[in-house]
Amino acid sequence: MNVRLETIRECLEGIIPGHIGTCDAEGMPNLAYLSQVEFIDNEHVALSYQFFNRTRQNVLAGSPVRLLLTSHLTGAQYRAELQFLRTETAGPLFEQMKAKLAGIAAHTGMSGVFKLLGSDIYRVLSIDQVVGPTVAPPPPPVNYLTALRRAAQKLAGCANLECLLETALDSLQSEFGIGHVMLLMHDEGRGRLYTLASRGYPESGVGSEIPMGVGLIGISARERSPIRIGFMTSEYTYGRTVRDSIAAEGYADTLETAIPLPGLPEARSQMAVPILACERVLGVLYVESVADLHFGYDDEDALVAFAAQLGQAILHHQQVDEVEEEAQSSDTAPPVPAGSPLRVRHYGANDSVFLGDDYLIKGVAGAILWALLQDFAERGRTEFTNKGLRVDPRIRLPGVSDNLEARLVLLQRRLEERSAGIHLAKSGRGRYALTVDRPLELATD
Amino acid sequence: MLDSDTQAFLQTGVSISLAACNAARLACMSRGMGCKVLDGGRRMAIFLKRSQSLELLDNVAATGKVACVFSLPSSNRTFQLKGADAVVQPFDPADMVVVNHHIDEFVQEVVPLGMAEQVVRAVFACTADDLVTVVYSPSAVFSQTPGPKAGEPVGRAS
Repeated sequence: MNVRLETIRECLEGIIPGHIGTCDAEGMPNLAYLSQVEFIDNEHVALSYQFFNRTRQNVLAGSPVRLLLTSHLTGAQYRAELQFLRTETAGPLFEQMKAKLAGIAAHTGMSGVFKLLGSDIYRVLSIDQVVGPTVAPPPPPVNYLTALRRAAQKLAGCANLECLLETALDSLQSEFGIGHVMLLMHDEGRGRLYTLASRGYPESGVGSEIPMGVGLIGISARERSPIRIGFMTSEYTYGRTVRDSIAAEGYADTLETAIPLPGLPEARSQMAVPILACERVLGVLYVESVADLHFGYDDEDALVAFAAQLGQAILHHQQVDEVEEEAQSSDTAPPVPAGSPLRVRHYGANDSVFLGDDYLIKGVAGAILWALLQDFAERGRTEFTNKGLRVDPRIRLPGVSDNLEARLVLLQRRLEERSAGIHLAKSGRGRYALTVDRPLELATD
Repeated sequence: MLDSDTQAFLQTGVSISLAACNAARLACMSRGMGCKVLDGGRRMAIFLKRSQSLELLDNVAATGKVACVFSLPSSNRTFQLKGADAVVQPFDPADMVVVNHHIDEFVQEVVPLGMAEQVVRAVFACTADDLVTVVYSPSAVFSQTPGPKAGEPVGRAS
C-alpha cells in the first residue's frame, strides 16, 4: 500500500463523491457513486448500505471492489482495492454513519430517500495514487497537535472541578477556535445528561437536560462514540428531538424542559464527543458551527484526545475533593439579612425547588439546596463539606458515582444566574460556604 | 438508442466515469474528460487520460465490457450506460474543443456548489497527446438517480 488511509481522510467526507466499481458473474462492470465512506482505521473503511442495488448484489456474490476517491483540497485521486467483511446494523459505527448520512441527505435534497440500512465494513487491501497534477492544500485552520498540547497543559494546572470546566471550555475556544461549546455531565441514576457549562450562547442553559440516547449528544453518550454531522439536518435538531422524546416517554413533568438547551438554531456542523474515564461515561462535549463541514476527522481526533484527558481529570477531582473532618457550625449565627423575604418552596416528589414562582433546580441538586437552606434557617449554619453532604440522609446520593462535585457546581451556577440572593461558594477543599442576602421563607409540599 | 433528452443531458456539465474489469473481475475506473454522442445515439465516445487509465484501457481491450456513469452534481440526476463492444481508439485532436467545453461546463456546475475552481481544473488538466477515446454501443441504460428506483433499467438500446 503506497498511501496511508489516515493521510487522505478528506477524500472520505463526500465533498467529491467517491466511486465504487464492482463486477457481475459475466464480467460486466458496475459503477456507482458513494454517499459515504467512513474511516475506521488504516486497514478498514465502512460504506453505507442504503439500497439493495447492483453494487450490493455484486459484492455479496463475491466481486472484488475498487474505489476511486478524490481530494477536494488537492484534486489528487486514489484507487483503493477493498475486500468486503461484514455488515453492522447497530452500534457506534452504525450510529456515526446514520447521523452523518442524515446530514448528507439533507444537504443533497435526499432526506427521506437516504436511509442507512447497514454499515458495510471492508478491509483496505491497497491504495494507489492516480498520476496527475494536484494543487497544494490550503493550510489547516488550526495546528491540532499544538492546540492539544496547550489545552492539556492548561487542564493539568487546574486544582478543582470548577477550574477544570472553565479551563476546558476556554481552551476549546482559544486553542481550537471553536466558538460554540457545551459540556454536559451524565446523571447515571436518572439516565439524563445535564448542561454544566457552555460558551457562545446568549443563555448558558446550565441545568438543561437531554435524555440518554436522544439527539446527537444523547446518542454519542449511549454509544460511547463521537458523532459528527457536516450539514444541517432536522433529524438531529435538539429542541424538537428532546421535546418529542420526552413526550414519547410520557413525562407529564414539564420541568424536564423548564430550562431550554442552548444551541444554534441554524447549526450546520455538529459534533458530540463522549467524556469517558474508567469505562464510565462522565459526560459529553458538544461543539457546533453555522458553517457546513466545519469539523473534520482531525477535529474529531483532537477532541477525543482532549476529552480523554478531561475525563481523567474530572474523575480525579471528583474523588479528591473530600476532607476528613466535618466542618463546624459557626459559633455565632450570621446576622439576619434585611429586605423583602424570599419564598423558597420545595416539592419532595422530585426535589424541585422554586424561588418565588420561578423554577430553580430539581433532583439531587434540589435536595442539596433544600438541606443547606434548612440547616441555615434552623441553626444558622453556613459551612458545609462534601463529606457531610454525602452522608446526609436528606440528599439520597446515588452511590459512589454520585458526581457530587458536578452537582454542586450546577447548583452554584443556577443560583448565580437567578441572582436571587442565595450564593454558594467554594471555601476550601471539599468545603462550601452559603451566603444569604435576604430573609428566607421556607415551605415544603 | 438513446433518446434526444438523454443525449442532451450526457453532453452537459456532468461528471463522467468509465469502468471495465479484468479477468479476475477487479474493476478499474477513470474520470472522463468529456464525451460525444455518435451515430444519433447508437454509440458513445468517452475521452480519458491515457496516463491515468493504463489498467482500465487494458481491461477494455481484453473484455470490451464497460460501464459509464454520467451524473449532474446539482441535481443528482444519474445514468449508467453499459456496453459490451468497447474499443480503444486514438484521440482526434479536433475533439479537444469538446473536451474543453465539457471542462468549462463542469466547472460552472460545481463551483457554485462550493468546489474550488483550481482543484477542479487540476483534476481535469489534460493535453491532446495524453488523451484516448473509448467508443462503445450502450446496450443497457439504467437510471441511478439516488432513491428506491436507482438501478432500474430505463431502456435497452437497439
